[in-house]
Amino acid sequence: MSEVEMAVIKPEMMKSYIWLQTADGAIQQVEQEVAMFCPLICHEVIHKGMGSSKNYAISLPQRVNPAMLSLILDYCRFHQVPGRSNKERKSFDEKFIRMDTKRLCELTSAADSLQLKPLVDLTSRALARIIEGKSPEEIREIFHLPDDLTEVSGACGNCVCLASQFPYVYNFNIDYILQEEKLEPLKNTTDDPRIRLLNRLYAKKRKELKEREKLKNVEVEEERVDERSVDDLLSFINGKERDSKVIKSSKNKKKHRRKKDQPKNTCSNEATKTHKQESNGLNLVCLSAEVGYKFRPDLGESSNVQNVEDDIFVRKVDFEDVDVDDEIDPALKEKIDREVEDFARRLNSDWPERMQEILSLGQDMRPLHHSINGNGTITKYAK
Amino acid sequence: MHVGDVAEDFISDLPQSIIENILTRLPIRDAVRTSILSTKWRYKWSTLTQLVFDENCVTPSNDRAPVEKSLVKFITHALFLHQGPIHKFQLSTARLQCCPDIDQWLLFLSRNDIRELVLELGEGEWFRVPSCLFNCKKLTRLELFRCEFDPPPTFTGFSYLRSLNLHQVLVAPEVIESLISSCPLLESLSLSYFDSLDLNIRAPNLKYLCLEGEFKDICLENTPLLVAMSVAMYMTDDIAEHFEQSSSCNFLKILGGVPRLERLVGYIYFTKYLSIGDDPGRFPITYSHLKIIELYQVSFEDMKEILVVIRLVTNSPNLEELQISGSSNTLAAIEAPDLDFWEKECPSDCSFEQLRLVKMTDISGVPHEMEFIKFLLRNSPVLEIMSITPCAFLTERKMNMLIELVRFRRASAQAEILFIQN
Repeated sequence: MSEVEMAVIKPEMMKSYIWLQTADGAIQQVEQEVAMFCPLICHEVIHKGMGSSKNYAISLPQRVNPAMLSLILDYCRFHQVPGRSNKERKSFDEKFIRMDTKRLCELTSAADSLQLKPLVDLTSRALARIIEGKSPEEIREIFHLPDDLTEVSGACGNCVCLASQFPYVYNFNIDYILQEEKLEPLKNTTDDPRIRLLNRLYAKKRKELKEREKLKNVEVEEERVDERSVDDLLSFINGKERDSKVIKSSKNKKKHRRKKDQPKNTCSNEATKTHKQESNGLNLVCLSAEVGYKFRPDLGESSNVQNVEDDIFVRKVDFEDVDVDDEIDPALKEKIDREVEDFARRLNSDWPERMQEILSLGQDMRPLHHSINGNGTITKYAK
Repeated sequence: MHVGDVAEDFISDLPQSIIENILTRLPIRDAVRTSILSTKWRYKWSTLTQLVFDENCVTPSNDRAPVEKSLVKFITHALFLHQGPIHKFQLSTARLQCCPDIDQWLLFLSRNDIRELVLELGEGEWFRVPSCLFNCKKLTRLELFRCEFDPPPTFTGFSYLRSLNLHQVLVAPEVIESLISSCPLLESLSLSYFDSLDLNIRAPNLKYLCLEGEFKDICLENTPLLVAMSVAMYMTDDIAEHFEQSSSCNFLKILGGVPRLERLVGYIYFTKYLSIGDDPGRFPITYSHLKIIELYQVSFEDMKEILVVIRLVTNSPNLEELQISGSSNTLAAIEAPDLDFWEKECPSDCSFEQLRLVKMTDISGVPHEMEFIKFLLRNSPVLEIMSITPCAFLTERKMNMLIELVRFRRASAQAEILFIQN
């Protein structure tokens, strides 16, 4: 241990150094007072006697690569000097964290592994500032997050729903909601008609998305909020009959989904004013305050429904009426329609209920008819 | 739809403690929204232990009802999706009032280790605190605004409570006293907008006290560790009557047992309150830690109030900062009786060794005010600034004030007298 002895008898003028080794094997020496600013290094030196020589270099955690170590040491070097004023420290910090986001994340990770809490807090604050107020798109782009949330995978609805309750004030429109879903076709190995339908749905949505892109600026809304259920979109896509009061069977894919009202509360107009939210699935929000809904829990007045729907859609630009199912034979078509409706209703229903359904779906493949299920969706069959 | 490369994603795999550190610094709305970023982010927010809600969580609107509804819905869902303990829950909104959902939220919180609870609701019908709140054994901080507070008879206090803030809370007086006494760790107490309250404070660990309201009687019975105190006393007729009849020495009741006091602030009728009762005389209590005294609305025509100020100031050898605002009648006579009071009552050897800053505001130039200023100037060897702001409506007397001021002898060579005019 002659090196240790040598370290002890070093002359007063020479600074003492601590030896550090990063995960890639590189060893370097650092001034003691700088290195000791990191709690982890401090612990290693004091409690384990490491770091006094090259052979006994302190192995740093894997998350600390040489570049990060250098940054951290810069930070320590500045802050370990006792005489600095708060203003100086703040000013240093502000300049210090100016780096690209990726390095900021790496730095946070490295500082955390060295237990350097002030630096972790500083970088976390910076990251929070980056995230705050941005749309998910922007955040994904900044951090290179994969856009892999799908609508179909069971539990997605809850968080998506909760998150999408808070539309952005800036430029929120329906594209936002659509884009959250992956909209990629599912593998349909068993030729399940429901999956076939879903894929068709997705195709339609993708198409609609593109169309929306072009028409973005046409919409002028006060609230700038527009969240809809799959059903509304479906009806959209399939074309609404604004002029007719009766739903024709040829357009039987059009479902008149009412906005979900608060389960226990009123079904009256006032309750269905500007901000109504679904508890699950995509949210429906009335476009503007002057559109009130009359809400009927079951097969209700078609005329009401029709009128209201007109109101919602009155600002929407006309969409092509796409009817893709012409080639399917009618009987199957009806069955499929029921499936679509069932599926859509399930998407929109409350999560606990959905759970129940999923569990019981094994036994019963027919759509379950909830006439009133608190959210009171209207299921309308036009045969 | 682009698919991000998993290897490129450089934030999702940070340890959860860091993620939570970041999410805690975001408004709750943004934090919850991260759940739709990617599959990994779906539930990262749900273990946050601090939930702070306000109107910014939901889309703003001029109508009250939709905001209220969506806020209720948001909070309910957030709690429902949350996992793990919740240590801090704060709800501050003027839009929300008493509604049954709040009771359910509190029940949920009481089962989830809640430690800090702040509930600030709107005007209107006041929320009645449910009994489940009193089962939150681990509460360290409680702040209630506009609530009804009625603990069950079996309630034995919050043994870990350190900070209590009740603002416009409807509660029976004896309940307050017993609540304070039954929270042994209480360090910070703030009671505002109470009326006709008779308050006996027994809190051995109390450090910070803030009172505001119509208090009939305040007695700091057991607060040896008190460091800072701020009292704003409003007056009503029956309180004034009560004052007339009281004979106990209020000064000692409030300031008799606070040797560690560092900062004292009094508003409105506080000084008057202190002046009621028998004169404590030249009592031996020294406030050796008292550094800052702020007394507002002191009437320099009331000899007893002046006496209170003098007692305080002369028993605080380490006083550094003094702020006094006057409340004298401008039509008061120029000449005042007992000007020799100053020689009688003030010790001649009194010296304020640490006093650096004196601010006098709303000064109307009545004789006793001027004497007080003279007294301070003469006995403050290290005074740096003496700032005087006369009353706004004072016109002719300002000049006389200035003339007098200029004559006063100053013990400190570097004292600046700032005469502030608006």
